[in-house]
Amino acid sequence: MLSVFCSGEVVCEPPNNKLDRFSGTLYWKESKFPLSNQNMLLRGCVLRNTEWCFGLVVFAGPDTKLMQNSGRTKFKRTSIDRLMNTLVLWIFGFLVCMGVILAIGNAIWEHEVGMRFQAYLPWDEAVDSAFFSGFLSFWSYIIILNTVVPISLYVSVEVIRLGHSYFINWDKKMFCMKKRTPAEARTTTLNEELGQVEYVFSDKTGTLTQNIMVFSKCSISGRSYGDVLDVLGHKAELGQKPEPVDFSFNPLADNKFLFWDPTLLEAVKMGDPHTHEFFRLLSLCHTVMSEEKNEGELYYKAQSPDEGALVTAARNFGFVFRSRTPKTITVHEMGTAVTYQLLAILDFNNIRKRMSVIVRNPEGRIRLYCKGADTILLDRLHPCPQELLSTTTDHLNEYAGEGLRTLVLAYKDLDEEYYGEWAQRRLRASLARDSREDRLASVYEEVESDMVLLGATAIEDKLQQGVPETIALLTLANIKIWVLTGDKQETAVNIGYSCKMLTDDMTEVFIVTGHTVLEVREELRKAREKMLDSPHAVGNGFTCSEKRSARLTSVLEAVAGEYALVINGHSLAHALEADMELEFLETACACKAVICCRVTPLQKAQVVELVKKHKKAVTLAIGDGANDVSMIKTAHIGVGISGQEGIQAVLASDYSFSQFKFLQRLLLVHGRWSYLRMCKFLCYFFYKNFAFTMVHFWFGFFCGFSAQTVYDQYFITLYNIVYTSLPVLAMGVFDQDVPEQRSMEYPKLYEPGQLNLLFNKREFFICIAQGIYTSVLMFFIPYGVFAEATRDDGTQLADYQSFAVTVATSLVIVVSVQIGLDTGYWTAINHFFIWGSLAIYFAILFAMHSNGLFDMFPNQFRFVGNAQNTLAQPTVWLTITLTTVVCIMPVVAFRFLKLSLKPDLSDTVRYTQLVRKKQKAQHRCLRRVGRTSSRRSGYAFSHQEGFGELIMSGKNMRLSSLALASFTTRSSSSWIESLRRKKSDSAGSPSGGADKPLKG
Amino acid sequence: MKRTSKDSQCKLPDNTALKQQQLPAYQLQLSATGVLSGFFATGVFCLGVGIILILSAKSIKEIEIKYTEICGNCAKLREDATNFDKECTCSIPFYLSETMQGNVYMYYKLYGFYQNLYRYILSRSNSQLVGTDLKDVGNCAPFSKSHDGTPIAPCGAIANSIFNDTIILSYNLNSSIPIKVPMLRSGITWWTDKYVKFQNPSSINLSSAFAGTTKPPSWAKPVYELDEEDPGNNGFLNDDFIVWMRTAAFPTFKKLYRRLNRIQYFTEGLPAGNYSFNITYNFPVTRFRGEKSVVLSTLTWSGGSSLFLGLAYTVTGAVTWLASFSMMAVHLLLKDRKMLFIQQ
Repeated sequence: MLSVFCSGEVVCEPPNNKLDRFSGTLYWKESKFPLSNQNMLLRGCVLRNTEWCFGLVVFAGPDTKLMQNSGRTKFKRTSIDRLMNTLVLWIFGFLVCMGVILAIGNAIWEHEVGMRFQAYLPWDEAVDSAFFSGFLSFWSYIIILNTVVPISLYVSVEVIRLGHSYFINWDKKMFCMKKRTPAEARTTTLNEELGQVEYVFSDKTGTLTQNIMVFSKCSISGRSYGDVLDVLGHKAELGQKPEPVDFSFNPLADNKFLFWDPTLLEAVKMGDPHTHEFFRLLSLCHTVMSEEKNEGELYYKAQSPDEGALVTAARNFGFVFRSRTPKTITVHEMGTAVTYQLLAILDFNNIRKRMSVIVRNPEGRIRLYCKGADTILLDRLHPCPQELLSTTTDHLNEYAGEGLRTLVLAYKDLDEEYYGEWAQRRLRASLARDSREDRLASVYEEVESDMVLLGATAIEDKLQQGVPETIALLTLANIKIWVLTGDKQETAVNIGYSCKMLTDDMTEVFIVTGHTVLEVREELRKAREKMLDSPHAVGNGFTCSEKRSARLTSVLEAVAGEYALVINGHSLAHALEADMELEFLETACACKAVICCRVTPLQKAQVVELVKKHKKAVTLAIGDGANDVSMIKTAHIGVGISGQEGIQAVLASDYSFSQFKFLQRLLLVHGRWSYLRMCKFLCYFFYKNFAFTMVHFWFGFFCGFSAQTVYDQYFITLYNIVYTSLPVLAMGVFDQDVPEQRSMEYPKLYEPGQLNLLFNKREFFICIAQGIYTSVLMFFIPYGVFAEATRDDGTQLADYQSFAVTVATSLVIVVSVQIGLDTGYWTAINHFFIWGSLAIYFAILFAMHSNGLFDMFPNQFRFVGNAQNTLAQPTVWLTITLTTVVCIMPVVAFRFLKLSLKPDLSDTVRYTQLVRKKQKAQHRCLRRVGRTSSRRSGYAFSHQEGFGELIMSGKNMRLSSLALASFTTRSSSSWIESLRRKKSDSAGSPSGGADKPLKG
Repeated sequence: MKRTSKDSQCKLPDNTALKQQQLPAYQLQLSATGVLSGFFATGVFCLGVGIILILSAKSIKEIEIKYTEICGNCAKLREDATNFDKECTCSIPFYLSETMQGNVYMYYKLYGFYQNLYRYILSRSNSQLVGTDLKDVGNCAPFSKSHDGTPIAPCGAIANSIFNDTIILSYNLNSSIPIKVPMLRSGITWWTDKYVKFQNPSSINLSSAFAGTTKPPSWAKPVYELDEEDPGNNGFLNDDFIVWMRTAAFPTFKKLYRRLNRIQYFTEGLPAGNYSFNITYNFPVTRFRGEKSVVLSTLTWSGGSSLFLGLAYTVTGAVTWLASFSMMAVHLLLKDRKMLFIQQ
């Protein structure tokens, strides 16, 4: 067959990234076949329940739609890295300036003094003028002073980041017991940026939710079931669940199904007709396909997981949906097989928000079963007892308040005559050429009225553990969370509510669904106007902290009141256009929560890029599937959830762990500490290098700018590597300002990172100033002392070597004391390194100045005997002490005053902790307030139109239900054959998987 | 896929204090009591040390006589290098109004002489000076070899520029015959310099040991004839030479020249009276606009005069106290506010 095909030709659109569209034509054997998206299998799809299929590769490699959707991989660097590079350049400029000043000094000196000094020290043969001497001295000084350009900084920074990465890998609290996966820092270069995140872009399914729907509660004719009750009938506390209901009476029950309220089962067993009808509806009114491999081993293939959950619930309560054909549905009702004749499926769509089936039971009665969104369905009920309606409504409110998604169930008896007539009209409508949809809808509308209320169901879309708490905490930490999902608007909004991103306290939730540029622009404009018009807008003072105000880019960010923005994929496409993106960004950033639904992977990346580009904020993207890869790559930090969805996201990510809730720990604990440590480390590092190097500069003015160093060459070599590197590394790796529990308790502690307060250009100049101040004292105090003084045996004190040793010793002591002050958290390792560095300094000093080394290499170790002679002098020690006191005291005083006058939150927390430790008072708790909620129907949930039609036509019987994103039209064959074939089909997981690329 | 299967078997991270960042640690806290008491203590310490240092510096008797201008004719003579063989002496009388008690030290002090130039400091050969390798003049440029190629001993710019004035102090007991004040030229160097860093090459006598080398160009006599009175004070072991070779850190410096030998009239020190310095003026300083002086000084426990250190300590102590008082004031004012926050 393939060989025959050789002569075919496909003409199609060029490669693009639109996942939902394809147009092309196949020319074969002189005939034309249109090719649409229905004929396409996207790269990454899994073909399920199909043994083979013929295919033709249209695009391969980078031309595939998936690859077209993946963004470019960019090398990620942290903002501190970039700042560091700038600073290093500045320092380099500073170095050149110093070199020039000293070179000019040298030229002048050589001209004024050096020329006359030639009797004692003639110029080098090559040097013929003071100018040339100055030129040479410039280069000499560049070499001597190059220690201001911290080369070892880069190495140390990497070492510290590596340490932080290991801490993330080792963290037991980020280890998922269930999946036995630890958190993993896959890059070691971004750690401190975790402490600066301002925007989190999250995927929904698999990240916020587990993609598992659970039938959790129901209300049947005014009675609510499903509360977890203890023995006495009171609502049980969380965490102490009694035994789940035992379904062993039912051989077809699904053991994975858990239900906690035994009264419902009792009601079923008692034969309560309402309850029976309730579950009968659930077992009949759906588009689920069943698959029975062995007798009694049922698998349901549900297009949406919540339908699956409902049918499974019915199955366990004794109404087992067994099999279906295009015309029949077979249900085991309490053990007896009943076959209903399926007359019609009134399919779901977004406007109707309900679906119905019309069946004829074995007795011949025709009944319509309907389930749908409460708002829609409650209007179409037969006037029934007000009491039942109000209790059911109460129940619905209660369920919604718990974040559950509700459906209302109803039925209606139809008489044969009416049905016959209606079926005629339906047939006519379905055959109509124009406005077929509308005609059908009105026909459906007509029959779906005057229904009798049966009850309501509540389905829990299982969130990942701890998601609402994490989101609440991150919000408190001033991190804005945007959900970008491929799911539908309703789904996304619903999840937004259940994970507390959206609340009913919110002033307004703007929903942007415009299809044209103008519509979208108008909607965004309206949203902005509303925000500005709202009575409590702008300038309430307490709404925005004063610090923030400096960074406001527009008035809008100061808007009071809580707003949320929900935007659809097609609107987003317009909103992301160059002329509107700023408007969109401005609106979105003024909202507390932003949800983008129906977005493609590339749009996800574009949104991230937009925020990245215009807000100058650190962004973090978190997701679990292949569709999140581009977003993960685009954001400053990409986090992959290692879970069910394969490892593409993890492979593209910078950090990975298996539960969303670990994000709070990653950011608030690890990120915060990393940032703090890195900033402290950088400040200290620049300080110590300037203090060290600038001494040469001052000495230049006293040694004829001859590029003579102050210190021994060995000291210069070892200073950065041995004497001062380890204590600051230990601080950079281990320092903590407040214990980890506190950073969770006080999320505001995260703010300095977002505002970039701990290391910025200002902080840098303060460090530099401190370094220069230290170097001035370090040089001029010994100079003042040495200029006049003599040793206690009358010999000269001010020889060069003694001076060098004195300055070096006081430098090492001062920087050690300074690191001692900077280290907030003295572990044994810090002690070891700090004291060890001092000890090593003196050990090496004495070794270098020992007789033994001098005897071996007299020209290399010129400082022989210096240590013991110099350091035995009381004057020298008094000088060192004075230098230390003068260098350190202002720092202590400054910090103390800052602590008293303008304490940081972390200072206050630490102080409070100290006081609290004494008082043993209880801690502040995160408030948990019961939320009153509006009802939200869940029927829209991940459900797609068109399944009823498919089932009725029998087309999909052969294809085995649900690989429908890649659904291809095939000539239909009899459903019996398909059933036969299904038995031999390989088992697939009950939930669909082929539509991954679009899934949120 | 292999990777995930491996990962999934990952075991729980170790529950060690290090890996969980729970190491027991001391949290540094700048508590008010700690800081303030530290400041007060430091202030007391600095003030105390400062006052002691000032008092002891005040007790030092020091007299300095600049003789570049006084011996102006000699200075002029030396400005022309061709006059190196012409001797020039100069006598400077002075009156000591107070007795200089205890040990008295005589220094020469140079102004504007740069012993700390980079090339100057390097221009020496330690292996030559330690006597092991007389011919090693590698670092000694520009004074490593004479014109005919013989290595210079001691080579280098430092050795070449040695201070070669002779200063003799005389005491005029009764305005008639001046008595030469007995001076010691030993004990003016570090022990390690004299016994480790500087050694004469081993040989029967010094002049043969230095055979094959030549004297530095500015020197009048070879190194083995530096001290004609004391044969043991010759060669590299000459005390004046060793003192000169320990280069000064700053362009103005004083180096120990002689110590008072406390015998005869001078057991108590230098009595008050008329003295004079008899200087053989050899070392030219006017060429580079420098100056020379001779200093007589006594010592205290901490060495020579260091008024700077005492003053610096006193000022630091005073400022520290001032700071601690103002910090205390700030602290007391804000205490109530702080407590308020905790109560919240």
